Amino acid sequence: MAAVTATRAPFELSTPIVLASGPAGFGFELEEALCYESVGALTTKTVTPRPRAGNPQPRLVDCAAGLLNSIGLENPGFDRFVSEVLPDLGRLTTRRIVSLAAQQPDELARMVEMLSAVPTIDALELNLSCPNVDSVVQGSDPMLAAAFVREARAATGTTLIVKLPGDAGTILAVSQAALDAGADGLTLINSVRGLRIDHRIGRPMLDRVTGGLSGPAILPIALARVYEVRQAFPRAFIIGTGGVTDLASTIEMLAAGADAVGIGYGVMADPSLPTRLADGLDAWLAERGIASLADVIGAAHRGGFLVP
Amino acid sequence: MTKRAQQVATARNGPLFSVSNAVLIDRSLGNGYARVSLGGIPDADVARPGQFLMIRRLGSRALPRAFSVLGAEGDRVDLFLKLDGLLRELLGSVPPGTRFELRGPYGVPYEDRISPGRKYVLVGGGSGAAPLLFLHEQCPDLVADVVLGFRHDGAARLLDRYDLVVESVDGRRAHDRLGDVWRIGLGIVACGPEPMLRAIGADFGDQPDVYVSLEARLGCGIGSCLGCSIPTTDGTRRICRDGPLFACSEIPWLR
Repeated sequence: MAAVTATRAPFELSTPIVLASGPAGFGFELEEALCYESVGALTTKTVTPRPRAGNPQPRLVDCAAGLLNSIGLENPGFDRFVSEVLPDLGRLTTRRIVSLAAQQPDELARMVEMLSAVPTIDALELNLSCPNVDSVVQGSDPMLAAAFVREARAATGTTLIVKLPGDAGTILAVSQAALDAGADGLTLINSVRGLRIDHRIGRPMLDRVTGGLSGPAILPIALARVYEVRQAFPRAFIIGTGGVTDLASTIEMLAAGADAVGIGYGVMADPSLPTRLADGLDAWLAERGIASLADVIGAAHRGGFLVP
Repeated sequence: MTKRAQQVATARNGPLFSVSNAVLIDRSLGNGYARVSLGGIPDADVARPGQFLMIRRLGSRALPRAFSVLGAEGDRVDLFLKLDGLLRELLGSVPPGTRFELRGPYGVPYEDRISPGRKYVLVGGGSGAAPLLFLHEQCPDLVADVVLGFRHDGAARLLDRYDLVVESVDGRRAHDRLGDVWRIGLGIVACGPEPMLRAIGADFGDQPDVYVSLEARLGCGIGSCLGCSIPTTDGTRRICRDGPLFACSEIPWLR
């Protein structure tokens, strides 16, 4: 397997394929469908300080080339996560990134601190960008993002990755703020806020009106954000996430500058996709005679890779 | 093993298959409905009544759609569906020989959810007939009567091999007929559109062993994405993994 070396990455990843937060849940259901050895890291469903029942049905609406979701951060809450989920997380044979979100910086920092010394957790992902909850999207505002990251950083020495929205106007300022506040890496991007209306009755299809668009529809947006942030921050560790569903889009995401590639919608549609992508990438590298993933990552900034 | 791990382990409902080239071998269309047979599925017959398959066109990147199994034999599964919108596109208008990706069977089989030692009236509306006909075929001893309602009369011809009286072309809704055949001591297993389930909940919801099979747009089908979560009296549950069958008494909007 082509590994991601611990140069920009905070630790080695056995493959660049990362399960994005959300569709993979806490990873256990996927044990039946994929081979965790082919997954560089699992990012858990986002955990919040208190339990959240999530949003009412419908939660998923089909779109051309994608899906609008309104899950609403359904999760058992931090305490039950620690007592019921965390003890089993260690059996998954991959890196484990726990995703966290809170409405206030101190609430986030409290969870971060309590997970600091857990040996089965490789990193924490601060979700500053869920489009489906009440609070403002923290990751759209550099000051707000910095406040969350700064408090979390002060609470732990564990690797902190910050997940940001794909907003074109603020991405560089927010990335700068997060990195300056002590983030070890960025996950770009979350699902994109979108809307569908039932044309027969003129009403929004989702109870909360808008939801998060994911799937192939958002690939070009994610690629653009990853490209822009890579250009501005050559040393930042980036997990590029958004619309990757096949080998070609995986290579695109790496070439745009992602060190690792998050899979969300793709694993929902096909739980075996991560394994197929990791195998496919190995075969492609061998076929092209490319010795190292490093030759692919960011290639779009260097005039592409050599074509044999 | 922690409670969580036990839940995950016990939620597995037997063997799974994942087939990347299932093939459309037969299709009958009847006024708004279709009966579809897909072949080339090794061990297709592990599917049990109430379970469903996730299906999409081979090579597609779309989210698959869930279909209840109507029948499974050898390497073949039969489906029964209402032909509208995306389903018409997926299965209704493609030629025989078309190839599909298919995974499953998922969901808790009805037999594993309902109380044993009781007979049931099966009540189906539209494509909700599929799992009930499968249950009737596989477990005739559990079944006291079958009442099926369809909006279009094409369904009767498509389901003729089941040797069942397909009712309601006269416009009577299935749950009205339920009142004629249900008697004290019988349970109910219902699968169909929400208005039908609401009517059953209103008239029979306080009886023991009344079960409803619920539907939602499923994401992953395996219980990890939480796209099909619903509130129940026992907390949030996933239609795909904890269901699709639930006791009527567990569902707040049916009580």
